[in-house]
Amino acid sequence: MSREVTTYDAIVIGSGMTGGWAAKELTALGLRTLVLEAGRPISPELDAREHVPPFQMPFRGLGDRKHIDARQAVQQKSVTFDEMSQQFWTDDIDNPYSTSDGRRFDWFRSRQVGGKSIIWGRQAYRMSDLDFGANARDGVAVDWPIRYADIAPWYDVVERFIGVSGQKEQLSQLPDGQFLPPMALNCVEQHVQSRIAAKYGRERVLTIGRAAVLTTATNGRAPCHYCGPCHRGCSTRSYFSSVNATLPVAQATGRMTLRPHSVVRSLVYDATRQRVSGVRVIDARTGVEHAYSARIVFLCASAIESARLLLNSASPRFPNGLANSSDQVGRNIMDHIKWGGATGQIDGFDDRRVIGERPNGIYVPRFRNVSTAHADFLRGYGFQGGAGRGGWEAAVRAPGLGAAFKQRLTAPGPWSMSFAGFGEMLPRETNRATIDPSLKDRWGIPALHIEAQWSDNELAIHRDMGVTASELLDAAGARRVRAHTHGPSTPGNANHEMGAARMGRDPKTSVLNGWNQTWDAPNLFVTDGAFMTSSGCQNPSLTYMAMTARACHYAVEQLKRREL
Amino acid sequence: MERRQLLEWMVATGGLTALNRLSASDLMAMGREAHAHARVHADIVASAATVPALDARSAAIVTAAAERIIPATDTPGATQANVTAFIETMLSGWYAPADRDRFVAGIGELETRARELFTRSFVTCDPSQQVALLEKYDADVTTLRTAQDATANAHWFAMLKYLTVWGYCTSEVGMRELLHTWPMPMRYDGSAKVGA
Repeated sequence: MSREVTTYDAIVIGSGMTGGWAAKELTALGLRTLVLEAGRPISPELDAREHVPPFQMPFRGLGDRKHIDARQAVQQKSVTFDEMSQQFWTDDIDNPYSTSDGRRFDWFRSRQVGGKSIIWGRQAYRMSDLDFGANARDGVAVDWPIRYADIAPWYDVVERFIGVSGQKEQLSQLPDGQFLPPMALNCVEQHVQSRIAAKYGRERVLTIGRAAVLTTATNGRAPCHYCGPCHRGCSTRSYFSSVNATLPVAQATGRMTLRPHSVVRSLVYDATRQRVSGVRVIDARTGVEHAYSARIVFLCASAIESARLLLNSASPRFPNGLANSSDQVGRNIMDHIKWGGATGQIDGFDDRRVIGERPNGIYVPRFRNVSTAHADFLRGYGFQGGAGRGGWEAAVRAPGLGAAFKQRLTAPGPWSMSFAGFGEMLPRETNRATIDPSLKDRWGIPALHIEAQWSDNELAIHRDMGVTASELLDAAGARRVRAHTHGPSTPGNANHEMGAARMGRDPKTSVLNGWNQTWDAPNLFVTDGAFMTSSGCQNPSLTYMAMTARACHYAVEQLKRREL
Repeated sequence: MERRQLLEWMVATGGLTALNRLSASDLMAMGREAHAHARVHADIVASAATVPALDARSAAIVTAAAERIIPATDTPGATQANVTAFIETMLSGWYAPADRDRFVAGIGELETRARELFTRSFVTCDPSQQVALLEKYDADVTTLRTAQDATANAHWFAMLKYLTVWGYCTSEVGMRELLHTWPMPMRYDGSAKVGA
C-alpha cells in the first residue's frame, strides 16, 4: 500500500460554494491541491432526489419528524429543509453550538462534498458601489478595500462558468451580468410588473430572479426541466453546485485530491517562517489524526466555521486565535433580515394556470436609499416573491365531505401575489462568535457560542418592507392586500451568514486585506462569506465565488514571484 | 414513466449527450463511496417501524370513513389510494403518543355512536348512515374553527380529514387521476389555459 501524500502546493478547506471554486482555479493554475471536506462524498447520480414523488417518501413530504426533532432541531428551520433534502444538512447533536437564552441564532450547516452549494437558493446578484462604498459613506464599521471595478471582471468569469439566467435592467444598484436567457414571468407577474412600471417607472422595478439555473445547455450541463426542488440535488446538473460544476473540472486536471470525512481540527502556524505550514485533520470515521502541509491554504469552510477554525488555532504568536491580532475574528457576524412583506389577491386571470415548477421567483431590486435618503434607516432591501394559485392544500382544513368536497380538491384557488423582503444588516462588533468554554463537537473540537441580534436599523427596515410591499400590490390593483404580520426572522435564518473575518484597509481593524489574504499570515486566504465587510441586501454567494476566483489568481501570482 | 419522460426530454434537447460525457468525468474518486446516504434512509425506516397504532378493526373503520370523505367517483377514492396505510405510518411513526391515542379513541367513539344510532358497526352501515355520522363530527370541527379555538386541528376528526386529504393528494392514483400532477410536466408555462 502506497503512503498517502501529505505535502501539496495548496490546501483548500471546504468543498462547497467557494471551496469548489478555489479547487477549480488553483488546479487550473497548475497547483497540486488537496481539498478537505468534513462530510461524506456526494455523487449527483446517486444522491440527487429531485424526482422522488411524495408517494415514494415514507412521510409523504412531511419529514421524519421524530428523527428530525431529535437530531436536526436547528437545521429543520431552513426553508429548503425537507424530507428529501434532510440528508444534506448536519446533525445538530454531532455539531453543536450555543446561544444565550432568548437570543436564538439559526446556524445552517452542511457537511458533505458540495457543502451548502447543494441546498442554496441559487439567486445570484452582483453587488455595486452603492454597497462597496456604503460603510465609508455612512461612517459604519470599516471601509471595504475594494470597489466594484475590482470585482466586476471576476463576476463575469463566474457567471459565464456557472450559468446565470436573468434579465438586464440597467440599474446602477444591481449591475447586469453575463446572463443566459431569463426564465419567464407568469401571466400575473407580467401584469403586476407592468402596473408597477406605470406607477413607479425605473424607481421600483420588478424583474425575473437572476438564478444560477441553466436555461440553455452550458459547459456540458443540461438546461432546467422545471421539476422544482433543486435543493434535493439535480441529476441533470442544471443548477450550479460544486458537485455539479466546479469539482468535476478540478478533478479533470488530475491535480486535485479530494479527501472527504476530513474534519479540520486546526491550522498550524510556523512562527519562524511566519507562515501557515499546514493543517491537522481528524478522520471523521476513524478518529485518527492526520497532518498535511502546503505552500498556501484557502479557508472555505463557511463564514462562521472558518472563524471557529481560526479561533481554535491559537499559538504562542497568536494567543487569541490565528490571524487574529486585530481581535476581529468572530466579530461582525451578519445575515439578512426577512419576513417583512405583503400578499394580495389578483383578479382577472381565473382561466389561467401555471404548468411546471419554476425554481425561481421575481426580484425587486433595492430602491430605498438609492437616490434619496430615508429618514428611518440606512441601506435597504430587495423583494423576492411571485404569483401563484393555491391547490388542494387549502382544502385540508376546509369543511365538507363526499363527492363535492373531492371536486373542490381540483379547483385552483385565487391568484395571489407576494413580496418578501431581504434586508441589509449592519456590521457590529458585538455580533460575535467565541469559543464556548465547555462545549465540544463529536470529535472533541471546541464548539462556538454565538451572540447575534438585530439592531434598530434592521428592525426599521423590516417594518418598511410591509409598507412598500403593500404599495406595490396597491399599484398592481390587488385586492385583500395584507402586510405580513409576523415579526422579523431569527438572525441566521436567511442562510446568508457572513462576516467574522472581515476585509479592510488596516491590519489593526481587519483580518483580511483586499485580496482575501490574512494580514498576519500571508499564505493564508479566507474566501468564504467571512470576508464580507458589509452585507448588502443581495443574496451573497455570487460575490463569494467571484472573490474566491480573484484571490486564487492573486495567490498564484504571488507564489510565482516567491512572495508567499 | 417519469424516467421515460426525462429521457425523452433529454434526447429532444440534446442533453443526453452532455450527460453521457459528464458521467465519465464523474467517475472520480469523490462520488464513488458506496451509498452513504443509505444510512439516512435506514434511520427513517427504523424509526417508522414501531408498534402499529391501528388494529384490524380500527383500520377497517378508518378505511370506510376515509372513503366517505373522498369517495370513488369517476376517479378513484381514498380506499384505492390506500390512505389507511399512510395514516398508520403517521400515527405510529410521526405523531406524538398523545395525538395518536386521541385519534384512536376518536375512532372508538365513532364506532360506539354507529352502534347506538344504527345498531351495527360503522363498517357495515350504509353510506348515507356513515355520512350522517361523519357530518356531525365535521360540524363539530367547523364550530371550533369558527370560534378560532386553538384545539380545532387537534380534534380526532380534523386529524382524520387532514390525513385523508394529504394521503390521497400525495398518492400516485390521486396525483395521476384526479389532480393530474403526476407525471411531472418537465416544462414551464406561466400562462396555460385552465383545463388544458
